[in-house]
Amino acid sequence: MEIDSTQDATNGRMPTVEAGQPVDDDEDLDHIFDDMDEDETSAPAHNPWRPVHAPLDVHNVNLSDYGGDNSLKLKLFYRHFFPMKQYIDWLNYDTVSDSKLSASDIKLSKTFMNREFCFTLMDDTYIRFQSYKTVDEFRQELTRLNPAKIDLGAIYNIRPRDKASVHASAFKPMSKELVFDVDMTDYDDIRTCCSGGDVCMKCWEFMTVAMKIVDSALKDDFGFKNLLWVYSGRRGVHCWVGDERARQLNNEQRKAIVAYLDVTKGGERQGKTVKLPNNLHPSVRRSYEIIDEHFKNIVFNSQDILRDPTHWEKILTLIPDETVQQTARVEWEADPDREPSDKWEDLRGFVRKAIATPSKRNLLEHVLRDIMFQYTYPRLDEKVSTNINHLLKSPFCVHPKTGRVCVPIEIENCEKFDPTEAPTTETLINELNQYDTDHPGSNLQDWEKTSLASYVKVFEAFVKGNVKSIRSTKQAKAEPTLEF
Amino acid sequence: MFRQENRKTRQMLASGHIGYDEKNPYTTTLNFYKVPPTLNITIVEFEQFALDRMQILTKLMNGQLRNLPPAKLEASMNEAISKHMPMSGNSSSGHGVTREQVLERQKDYISHFIVRLAYCRSEELRNWFLRAECALFKYRFERLSQKEQLEFLETQHLSWKKVSDDDKRILRENLRSTALSSFKSGNAEDETYFEVDFEKVPLLVGRRQVYVQGGKAYVPLAHQVSLVLDEFKERLSRDLEAMGRALPRMEEDKRLMPILNHLDKQYLGREFTSSAIAGEIQAQDVDGLKVHMPLCMENLHNELRQDKHTRHGGRMQYGLFLKGMGLSLEQALIFWQTAFGKLTPDQFNKEYAYNVRHLYGMEGKRTDYTPYSCKSIIMGNTPGPQDHHGCPFRHFNETNLRAQLTSHMVDEFDTEDIMRMVKGRHYQVACTRYYEVTRARMLGIGTETLKGGGLSSNGGSEVASQELIEHPNQFFEQSFKLMRDFSEKKNGANGDPSEVQAVPEPTIKGRYTYRMAGPGTSSTSNNMDMDME
Repeated sequence: MEIDSTQDATNGRMPTVEAGQPVDDDEDLDHIFDDMDEDETSAPAHNPWRPVHAPLDVHNVNLSDYGGDNSLKLKLFYRHFFPMKQYIDWLNYDTVSDSKLSASDIKLSKTFMNREFCFTLMDDTYIRFQSYKTVDEFRQELTRLNPAKIDLGAIYNIRPRDKASVHASAFKPMSKELVFDVDMTDYDDIRTCCSGGDVCMKCWEFMTVAMKIVDSALKDDFGFKNLLWVYSGRRGVHCWVGDERARQLNNEQRKAIVAYLDVTKGGERQGKTVKLPNNLHPSVRRSYEIIDEHFKNIVFNSQDILRDPTHWEKILTLIPDETVQQTARVEWEADPDREPSDKWEDLRGFVRKAIATPSKRNLLEHVLRDIMFQYTYPRLDEKVSTNINHLLKSPFCVHPKTGRVCVPIEIENCEKFDPTEAPTTETLINELNQYDTDHPGSNLQDWEKTSLASYVKVFEAFVKGNVKSIRSTKQAKAEPTLEF
Repeated sequence: MFRQENRKTRQMLASGHIGYDEKNPYTTTLNFYKVPPTLNITIVEFEQFALDRMQILTKLMNGQLRNLPPAKLEASMNEAISKHMPMSGNSSSGHGVTREQVLERQKDYISHFIVRLAYCRSEELRNWFLRAECALFKYRFERLSQKEQLEFLETQHLSWKKVSDDDKRILRENLRSTALSSFKSGNAEDETYFEVDFEKVPLLVGRRQVYVQGGKAYVPLAHQVSLVLDEFKERLSRDLEAMGRALPRMEEDKRLMPILNHLDKQYLGREFTSSAIAGEIQAQDVDGLKVHMPLCMENLHNELRQDKHTRHGGRMQYGLFLKGMGLSLEQALIFWQTAFGKLTPDQFNKEYAYNVRHLYGMEGKRTDYTPYSCKSIIMGNTPGPQDHHGCPFRHFNETNLRAQLTSHMVDEFDTEDIMRMVKGRHYQVACTRYYEVTRARMLGIGTETLKGGGLSSNGGSEVASQELIEHPNQFFEQSFKLMRDFSEKKNGANGDPSEVQAVPEPTIKGRYTYRMAGPGTSSTSNNMDMDME
């Protein structure tokens, strides 16, 4: 497993470039040779995303000159705003480094060194299975590659860079945060305000509900304490559970948690996808309370689903009873402008009438409740969570399309989070310049002078929480400290 | 641990008979298989034990894969158990353990370790073995009386933290609604609950069958089996890995390694030897019998007719299959010569006749080859670019397989079902499903009665394959017999014959005698003559 340093150094110059799916982990060793070519093309001066005259001085940059040049913005972001120290502390998972210590002086833990990093370059090349032994090495690589996206993978039994030196079966993922990914595209069948990549405060409420439900289930039911919610940069949210116990879960246990959280069954063509038992499991009942708070606003105000016939039909078809459907249809077509919330009350009445017939009771009694679930319950991307070596975009990336930074969301104030207000590199540079003009000679970190500071604070709290939980589990096990 | 076992296994073989192990009381039918056996057995027993256990494990796994209804699974398991590894419970003997019971349980114990040796070699094998053994353990545990279960747990010193009455009062409401939500009566007070880490019971958590709070799952007594199983699985998984790491030390053992290496590839079904029915069908009947052939053979047949040629792999697979169907050597020569229509008789005799005679054991080393089983087709010789042999479920790409299924009128729903099995690499299960779906269509039975293996009414049960398809000739015989029985019944009853229009009866010109091959067939079905003209 130990590789002598000379060999390792050569490895370090030779990133495994793969133009494949980022999640595909069947590797071909032959690829190493292709990589060298690709690597060469990415370094020299004709490189399109590294302008020759790049004025890397953040104060003199005139972004309008570089309107389309995202790579410059990215470069500035990594150099000035990426909270390196907190980031290293996070992935180290052993101790919060002294605040006076500069990031380069932090010693990396085994957890960090065995972590897989995957970079997506500007030309959509994936570089998988990267790993670093020092902070400087990591920092240099970040500046050199200037990746459009950083993905984090699992922590392996050996350093991912040395993967080729062992047999494929001896390279094993050992741990990783329990992660969740909620994406707005999964809501497109019920979203009426936007579609595709767009997002507004109206549909963002779906994400708010998702965060609240998943967060409370993970904390109350599974006892996790350190959750980081992150805006994905465009139209979704990610969740990282940093507790030691969560990181040690195997795939089967991850699958169990996802199944526990999932209430929908059946695929797209199935229409009604939620069928819950009459008596709700305590966890689902708690989710129901959250849904109840938001359902009316989402469905009647922001999404306006009972406003016009094409949308209300979607709801009606979910009711497995012709009479109820027909009654509502006739009623509403006669008065289409009736308030949506009144229409919902109509529906309640029709269903109540229908379940007076005992044979219909079982089918219809909870149908409206199930529809509420179908319309507002979080839709999780299962694969991301259930597979330990699945990649997920790291916090503090810049989304290549929107230019927005993937910032942490404070769960206590998640209702106030507005994705359209999330900082972009441009706003950060402007804020920085403004601050420096107002406070000349300040020795704060660049990100501290901008609106990013409040987001980094959220992140710091998460990192501190992780370290605390590790300490307490270590004490519980009464083991001597292994690393320092 | 392993070195010790290695030595012991050899000792076992040295003296050649099973001793009575005084130290192992075998108080129940269950075993945690903690310590490897130290008994002596012969090499013949070694292999036999392993094969017997494999019969049971594969039967159970396949039954579960196919979603057999519980009663059916039970029946087929009971049959396999009584045939290969009988096990009698304690209750039948009153008190104490009889010598027979000790021997039965000893066989279970020893065979577990032999198969474990064979299946510790790779991750894939280990996973299968782990799943199979857990399923078997669960199957057995659930069939014990509560008293026996408790006895067993006591002998293993297994216990979990019980929820105190005070805590139960606090949690009462939540425990009650959890029980109600999974359709159990909500009498939380009388139920015993265990408090365990949720990681221990992933299945119960995933189905929301337990109340989970603060990382603890509250497991009612009724779900205790999950806890026992988790314990069993964890230990076995650990031991399997340890054994896998130690296995290379055994490589030098020339007697056991061949047996172990082949155990997972062994075909366990009956052999379809041709001798019993050779000479019963004619070369010209083959086309008419195509409807009864599995997809792999039908495909070879079609390609043969189209190209007027088949390459070596295809000739072996299809030729032996025809031989298993009952085509005599004489008829086979006629069949192949007509099939290879582009060749002159001379060319055929020079280049291919030898080949056909060879299949029938008349040339070369004179081996009477038996038809390939599904296992050997799936795991054997992978087809190359112009080859048509192999198993369509294994070797076709998705588009081609879908096209094949569509051309056999498999509807969308069933196709998805089959594709799912294929993706899970359960090719034989997929083939069995294909059998059921297509036969049902031929008989005009709606396939929806077949869904999920539930085949209670409308003749569905007749179509359902009792066994997993493990041999192309089994597919053929089963299908042929099904059609024959069905048409006999139709002719016998005064029902409306137009009801079933689509029964494609085999159009056989000559006299065709159908006879089951192999041992174990009842005498009545042995000589069923059928004149189809």
